[in-house]
Amino acid sequence: MSSIDLTLKIWRQKNNDSLGDFETYILRDISTDMSFLEMIDVLNEQLTREGKDPVAFDHDCREGICGMCGAVVDGVAHGPDRETTLCQLHMRKFKSGDTIVIEPFRSIAFPIKKDLMVDRSALDRIIQAGGYVSVNTGGTVDGNSIPIGTETAELAMDAAACIGCGACVASCPNSAAMLFTGAKISQLSLLPQGLPERKERARSMVAQMDKEGFGYCSNEKECEAVCPKGISIRNIARMNREFLRSLLLGE
Amino acid sequence: MELNSRIPSGPLAEKWDSHRFQSKLVNPANRRKFRIIVVGTGLAGASAAATLAELGYKVDAFCLHDSPRRAHSIAAQGGINAAKNYQNDGDSVFRLFYDTIKGGDFRAREANVYRLAQVSTEIIDQCVAQGVPFAREYGGTLANRSFGGAQVSRTFYARGQTGQQLLLGAYSALSRQINSGGVSMYNRREMMDVVIVDGRARGIVVRNMITGAIESHSADAVLLCTGGYGNAYFLSTNAMASNVTAAWRACKRGAAFANPSFVQIHPTCIPVHGDYQSKLTLMSESLRNDGRVWVPKNKEDKRPPAQIPEEDRDYYLESKYPSFGNLVPRDVASRNAKEQCDLGKGVGSTGLAVYLDFGDAIKRDGEDVILRKYGNLFQMYEKITDSNPMVEPMMIYPAVHYTMGGLWVDYNLMTTVPGLFALGECNFSDHGANRLGASALMQGLADGYFVISTSIGNYFGSETISPVSSTDPAFKEVENDVDTRLQKLLQNSSGGPAGKVTVDDVHKEVGRLLWDNCGMSRNRQGLEHALEELPKIRDKFWSSVYVPGAGEDINQSLEKAGRVADFLEFGEFMIRDALSREESCGCHLREESQTEENEALRDDDNYSHVSVWEFKGDDQAPEMHKEPLVFENVTPSQRSYK
Amino acid sequence: MWFVSFIKTSIGKKLVMAASGFLLLSFLAIHAFGNAAIYMGSKYFQIYADFLHGFPVLVLIFGVGLLVIFIAHVGVGLLLFFEKRKTASRYEVQTRVVENTFASRTMPYTGAWIFIFLIIHVFAFNIGKPEGVQISMLVQQYFSGFFYSLFYIISFIALAIHLNHGFWSMLQTFGLNHPRYNTLISALTIAVPVIFLVIFGGIPIYFMTGGAAGY
Repeated sequence: MSSIDLTLKIWRQKNNDSLGDFETYILRDISTDMSFLEMIDVLNEQLTREGKDPVAFDHDCREGICGMCGAVVDGVAHGPDRETTLCQLHMRKFKSGDTIVIEPFRSIAFPIKKDLMVDRSALDRIIQAGGYVSVNTGGTVDGNSIPIGTETAELAMDAAACIGCGACVASCPNSAAMLFTGAKISQLSLLPQGLPERKERARSMVAQMDKEGFGYCSNEKECEAVCPKGISIRNIARMNREFLRSLLLGE
Repeated sequence: MELNSRIPSGPLAEKWDSHRFQSKLVNPANRRKFRIIVVGTGLAGASAAATLAELGYKVDAFCLHDSPRRAHSIAAQGGINAAKNYQNDGDSVFRLFYDTIKGGDFRAREANVYRLAQVSTEIIDQCVAQGVPFAREYGGTLANRSFGGAQVSRTFYARGQTGQQLLLGAYSALSRQINSGGVSMYNRREMMDVVIVDGRARGIVVRNMITGAIESHSADAVLLCTGGYGNAYFLSTNAMASNVTAAWRACKRGAAFANPSFVQIHPTCIPVHGDYQSKLTLMSESLRNDGRVWVPKNKEDKRPPAQIPEEDRDYYLESKYPSFGNLVPRDVASRNAKEQCDLGKGVGSTGLAVYLDFGDAIKRDGEDVILRKYGNLFQMYEKITDSNPMVEPMMIYPAVHYTMGGLWVDYNLMTTVPGLFALGECNFSDHGANRLGASALMQGLADGYFVISTSIGNYFGSETISPVSSTDPAFKEVENDVDTRLQKLLQNSSGGPAGKVTVDDVHKEVGRLLWDNCGMSRNRQGLEHALEELPKIRDKFWSSVYVPGAGEDINQSLEKAGRVADFLEFGEFMIRDALSREESCGCHLREESQTEENEALRDDDNYSHVSVWEFKGDDQAPEMHKEPLVFENVTPSQRSYK
Repeated sequence: MWFVSFIKTSIGKKLVMAASGFLLLSFLAIHAFGNAAIYMGSKYFQIYADFLHGFPVLVLIFGVGLLVIFIAHVGVGLLLFFEKRKTASRYEVQTRVVENTFASRTMPYTGAWIFIFLIIHVFAFNIGKPEGVQISMLVQQYFSGFFYSLFYIISFIALAIHLNHGFWSMLQTFGLNHPRYNTLISALTIAVPVIFLVIFGGIPIYFMTGGAAGY
């Protein structure tokens, strides 16, 4: 275990109506075993003791699964480690003397609430537009009555692994939510349970995605590269197919 | 206080059926006239909100996250049990019931647990229909594994992300209801108090975490689905925002709290590595299937593990429990790890860890086999600790994981306050003194999808509930209480931070106190000491905690302070409960109650009851009531893993 | 109308790009087939040209159709280009995780170059063609000029670069992304532009290097 000294440049913004700016902070003796968020905890304790306002940031499970945390670190959503959420990024990835620039996930569809905290409810509304199977509780058939091959189940699981953190949007040069939307549409179009609604689903989820102000896809693969769950742009291709199907075959 | 568990009469297997038949119903056309508040959107909350909205009730759902999908149910890794007997290995509803009751060390209600086992099969069907991508066999049928030492394979799973997939299933059902207008979703709202009008729960007061506004919401029933209180210990595997506030506020308004000292300590977590540490990370229990637990025989032995020869290693679980070895239940594994560390034999920089060694398994099965089984867990471990378990033994240590205690509820999941229900981890009902692996997800979804709809119908159908609006004076009064309390938390802010303590300072202190004295092993002396110390920490908190910022804004320090303040009050319930239960059972060892071989000794003659605690006032000791546990279908037996 | 609402969506716009791109690619393939006759000599090329212009009505219809497709491709492309500029460079530190290829980075610019090229090309060989000069002779005449030939070669390189990203992007937009075929697809993203570059780019070189001595 060793420790490092860091300079942090963090985006500070009071709320969505006010203008923000970078503030610079110096941190000393940061253990390299610390997680990135624990490093911000240390900064916040330091700021509190100095009578200053701590940095607001979203986080919860700190196990890389809830999807609540996320910031752009030196220009990369969730920081330099691949397939890693910000909470699972550790300080051993940095060197003493480094200056780290921390910015919120930016997108027209993600208004900033405070500092690094953004409103990602646009993603919820995309799911609400059709990211489900319309089945009420009860009266379902036995779980084994429709066989699903391992390969299909695995592909669906690959897509379903999305944690909804929004890093794909934050990293996309066009602020597109294609990977997020594509993952959900893929999951449900791969499984037999999702098929009855596939056309309507593709249409309404894409429509909602556009309505929220997310951009289009220019096939630059940044989303896939920063995705903490390694979700492939193959899911975007699948969504395009589903969308085309709904276009050509929809009623 | 009257404790009526309302357990239906009749044979065990028919209780749930006859209860559903005897429960009152609400005419479908009338359901839209009833409004129900659901607090929390984890497995229990999201499934309950969706199900009730599907039935036609008006539902207002609340969560403190930015999205209902973030609840900590999402972090459950292992799986969900169900008595499907798909593997033809002798499983049945009765066996799942029996295993759960026995696993809970005979401190749960037979009827509740039996119902849980009954509806478990429907949960799987429901989740499959929602598009949950469970693991499948090559033929396309659902895959199962044996989990947590169970002798049958009844655990359904979706890779190591079962909780996530089940929660996203419930979240999708909830999203569908939000879309259709059945559910109004309120994100980033923290419940601050429950409002009681004429003896019934009629609403809640929440703080809007973005604007700081105190908002009142009225309804005809309130469902608390707010999870467990493991964060009382500061370090736990719970999410950072997991808290006791909702349950504790309800308790202060008259809902009794059952078995608050029943806390599960999970044996395989990544050890603490520094005082900056914010939380503990769980490693799946399945690791113990192939890993061997050991410490050096000599406590002076500080050599790196690879240099410690076989004869200088103490495989203490294997030598103490020859028949179960490394697969002893969670509590036994946890307790023994702590014991070894207390003896000074712990390893790692803090001395608070034991080795979990895969060396022999790698030799036996080859690297490929081990990597295929545990590769993703090893990766996660390496990401956090920078050490590769294929090369050097893993280090593990127990951590607080789940709380079996919770709000006391009857068979209908209703607390002692009429109209106030508690679902999922925040009630006490199904796991007794210890929860089996893969049963938490089962209980959360059983409560939300299948139990609560009957209870709600029966409550609305059998009572006359007069209309109440959130402008009622009762709401104003509670709003004032909430506001006063928030102002009190901010009272020290004006003078600046000099000479003050931070919220985390206090949280760490109370966490340490509880961990040392009210953790997996307890004794009278320690508990009495804790009971003495706790008020001092509480006083320090109120007199000198520094909370920066104001209340009319996003203020994460204020949110944290409110939660810690509640842990400081609630902690007393935990200690008192632990003190009054002079037996070892389930997850905890009461040091005064041991066999000659230093094993946990349960005392069925004196403690075969649920300890139900009633809040009596801020300056008064709570009153304990007992709900006796009656076992008609199983015979309590003493566990033995020798 | 469903089509209007469809092309207003984000994926709809991309599908218009891909579909028009595909049609333009098909046109290129036919054009390349015809132009390959140049390598056989002026006689064959003139036969091909005369044959083609023996159906003036069809040429007109196809010409107008091509123009519409081309306008759609350029128009939607411009729309996407300006939309992108709204969201680009929104961070203090700009870091690419995936090194995006030169081709993908320069799509609008290679596109613009091809646009200018096409105006000159169409003017030279179609609208502005001098009366009474045979097309096979005109080709020879134009490509005897060094700078004119150089301009053509550069333009074909731009086209190849444009196709390098465009071809893959088109397939991805159509939803063709499958691990089993992705190796083939990535081979084609090189092969297809190279084939066009060789056939089209070879023509000015053919004339410049004197390879066309017996043309």
